[in-house]
Amino acid sequence: MKEQKPTYEELEARLAQAEETLRAIRSGSIDAIVGDQGMLIMRAKAAEDALRETQKTLEAVVETAPILIVMTDSRGRIVLFNRACEELTGYSRQEVLGKTIPELFLSPEWVPIVAERFADPFNPALQELHINPWITKTGEERLIEWRCKALPMPRGTGYFVLGTGLDITERKRAEEEREKLEAQLRQAQKMEAVGRLAGGVAHDFNNMLTTILGYADLALREVSPESPLHDDLLEIVKAAQRSADLTRQLLAFARRQTVNPIVLDLNDAVSGLLKMLRRLIGEDIDLIWMPGHDLWPVKIDPSQVDQLLANLAVNARDAITGVGKITIETHNVVLDEAYCVDHVDFLPGEYVMLAVSDTGVGMSKEVLEHLFEPFFTTKEVGKGTGLGLATVYGIVKQNDGFINVYSEPGQGTTFKIYLPRSEAQSVEIPAEKTAEPLWGGRETVLIVEDEKAILDIGERVLEGLGYTVLVARSPNEAIRLAEEHVGDIHLLITDVVMPEMNGRDLAEQLTSIRPGIKCLYMSGYTANVIAQRGVLNEGVCFIQKPFSAMSLAVKVREALEQAS
Amino acid sequence: MTAQRDKESDNPTCYHLRLFVAGDEPNSRQAKETLNRLCEAYLKDHYTLEIVDVLEDYRAALENQILVAPTLIIAAPPPPITIIGSLSDTRRVLNALGLPASEEGL
Ligand SMILES: Nc1ncnc2c1ncn2[C@@H]1O[C@H](COP(=O)(O)OP(=O)(O)O)[C@@H](O)[C@H]1O
Ligand SMILES: [Mg+2]
Repeated sequence: MKEQKPTYEELEARLAQAEETLRAIRSGSIDAIVGDQGMLIMRAKAAEDALRETQKTLEAVVETAPILIVMTDSRGRIVLFNRACEELTGYSRQEVLGKTIPELFLSPEWVPIVAERFADPFNPALQELHINPWITKTGEERLIEWRCKALPMPRGTGYFVLGTGLDITERKRAEEEREKLEAQLRQAQKMEAVGRLAGGVAHDFNNMLTTILGYADLALREVSPESPLHDDLLEIVKAAQRSADLTRQLLAFARRQTVNPIVLDLNDAVSGLLKMLRRLIGEDIDLIWMPGHDLWPVKIDPSQVDQLLANLAVNARDAITGVGKITIETHNVVLDEAYCVDHVDFLPGEYVMLAVSDTGVGMSKEVLEHLFEPFFTTKEVGKGTGLGLATVYGIVKQNDGFINVYSEPGQGTTFKIYLPRSEAQSVEIPAEKTAEPLWGGRETVLIVEDEKAILDIGERVLEGLGYTVLVARSPNEAIRLAEEHVGDIHLLITDVVMPEMNGRDLAEQLTSIRPGIKCLYMSGYTANVIAQRGVLNEGVCFIQKPFSAMSLAVKVREALEQAS
Repeated sequence: MTAQRDKESDNPTCYHLRLFVAGDEPNSRQAKETLNRLCEAYLKDHYTLEIVDVLEDYRAALENQILVAPTLIIAAPPPPITIIGSLSDTRRVLNALGLPASEEGL
C-alpha cells in the first residue's frame, strides 16, 4: 500500500474500524492482535475466560470438598490447605501456609514415621491408603486416612506433594465400640452356657453325694468310736462334705442355689462379717471398711453376702504378697443410660455398690478375660478351685446385679458389685437359729423322690429316728398311698422337680386328701413354680441336697413343729 | 458505515473474500465455520475464499492493515468491507454481502 494523505472519509472509516476492533477485543471475539513488530500476541479473551472458569471450578471443588486436601512444595511447606483442613485442625490458612506438616500437626512419635514414608515422595505406595493422625490446634488427636501423590513441577526438578485425607476417628471409635460390645456379649453367653452345664452336673452330683453322706452317717452310728472303721467313715463324710461345698458353689454360679432373700442394709451385713473376714485375711493385711451414707436397702439372701465377701476377700488376700491392704466400700449409685451403653449387660437404674479393692499383683488381660469362668484359676493345684469368682458371678446375676473388674498388672484390683435398690424397708437380719437338734419323733412321714438311692437313705434315716415312714417313687404313688393309708400322715417330704407333677402340685393335692399335712421340700436346685428363679416362698420348709442325716433330722423336726 | 448494495444486482456477481485467522483458536475456527456455511448456502459457485493464517504469515496481515484476527475482508465487489470478530452475528455478515438476512437455513 502506498502512503497517501488520507481523506476525511478514509479517516472516518478507519476510526470506525478501530472502534469495531476495540469492541471485538472487549467482547472476546478475537484470537490475536497483529503487532507493529510483526509479533502476534494475546490469546483470545474467551479462551482465557474458559481457562479461568475451569480453574475456578477446580478451586471450588477443592474448597467445598468434605475431604482434607493439602499440598506441600518440595521443601515440605504447605502451599494449599482447604476448608475441610481448616475446620478439622482449627488453624486458618494464613496460619499454616509456608509451615510444614510435622511442625504443625504431628505428635513427636509420628514425625520419624512420616519422614520415612515420604523419603521418596514418588513412591507409589503413598497412593495407597495409609493412616497417620493429626493433632488439632486444641490438642485433640484425629485419625486420618491419607492418599498422597507427588506431582512434578512443569519445569525444573521441583515437585508438589498432594495429600487427600479422610477423618476416620469416629468410624474407628464406633468399630472399637462394637468390637468391645460383641466381646462382652460373647463372654456373657459363654458364662450362661457354662453355667447351665455346671448346674446340670452339680445337680446330679448332689444326689449322689446325698447318698454317700447318708449311708456314711448311718454306718457311723452302727460302728463304735473305738473301731478303726469309725475314723475311715469320718474321712468319707468329710470328703463328701467338701465335695458338697464345691457343688454348692457350682450351683451358685449356675444361679440354681436356693435362696431366701430378705431386704437388708448392706452396711449392717458387711459389718457383721468383718470379724470373720479379718480372720480370713490374716494380720499382715489391713482391712479398711468404708461404709457409704444412707445406703439404700437391697434384697438378697444374707448368706450370699457372706459368700460374695468371703470369695473376694480370699482372692484379694492371695493377690497380696507380704503387707498390703484390702478396702471394702459401699455407695449408692445411679447408672445412667450413657454408662449402660458402654456395658452390655448393665441396665440403668438405682443400685447399691459394694466394692472390694486390694493392693495386690493385679491381673493381665488374659486373666481378666476368663476370670469368672468356673475352674479358671492361676493358682497352683490344691490352692485354687477356680470356683470363687464363678460363685460371685452367679450370685450377682441371681440378684439382678452387675459386676465389674478394674485391674492392671502391678496396680491392684477392684471388684465392683451393683445390687439393685429395693423398694421395701430393710429388716433386722434374724440371728442364726442354733436349734438344738430334736432327735426323732413318732409321727408318720411320707417321702416322695424319684431317685431311688435318696429315697432309701431317707427311709433308713427317718426310721432310725423313730418315725413311721411311707415311701413313694412318684407323685401318683404318693397320692394312692395317702388315700389308702390308715392313720395320720403328718409330713410330706417331696422332691421339687419330678417327672409327673411338681412338688407343690403334689402338696396341694395331698392337702385336699389330708388337711393339715405339713410339707418339707428337698431339692438340689429349684427351677419351677415353687421356687421361681430359685426363690422359695417365705415360710416354706426346704432342705438342700445333699443333706446329712443330722440336717434331715433337724429339718423334719422343724417342719413338724411349724404352726399350720 | 458501509454502502448498501442493491439487492437485485448480486446474481452474477463474483465475491472475493479474504479471512484472516489466528491458527485454530476458538474465534478463528468459529469464523471459518460460519463463513463456509454462509458461502455454501448463499454464494455457491460465485465466490472465492482466501484464508490467511496470521500465525504463519503476519506480513500479509500487516499489508492488509489487519490489526486483529479473525478479520474478514470482502474485497470484491467494491467497496471493500471489513468485519472484525468471530462472525457470530451472521445477520451483519449477510448484510455486508448484500444478501437478505433470513432466519432459516443457517
Ligand atoms: N483380687 C485379685 N487379684 C489378682 N488376681 C485375682 C484376684 N481375684 C481373682 N484373681 C484371679 O482370678 C482367678 C480366679 O479366681 P477364683 O475364681 O476365685 O478362683 P481361685 O481363687 O480358686 O483361683 C485367680 O486364680 C486369680 O488368677
Ligand atoms: Mg478364689
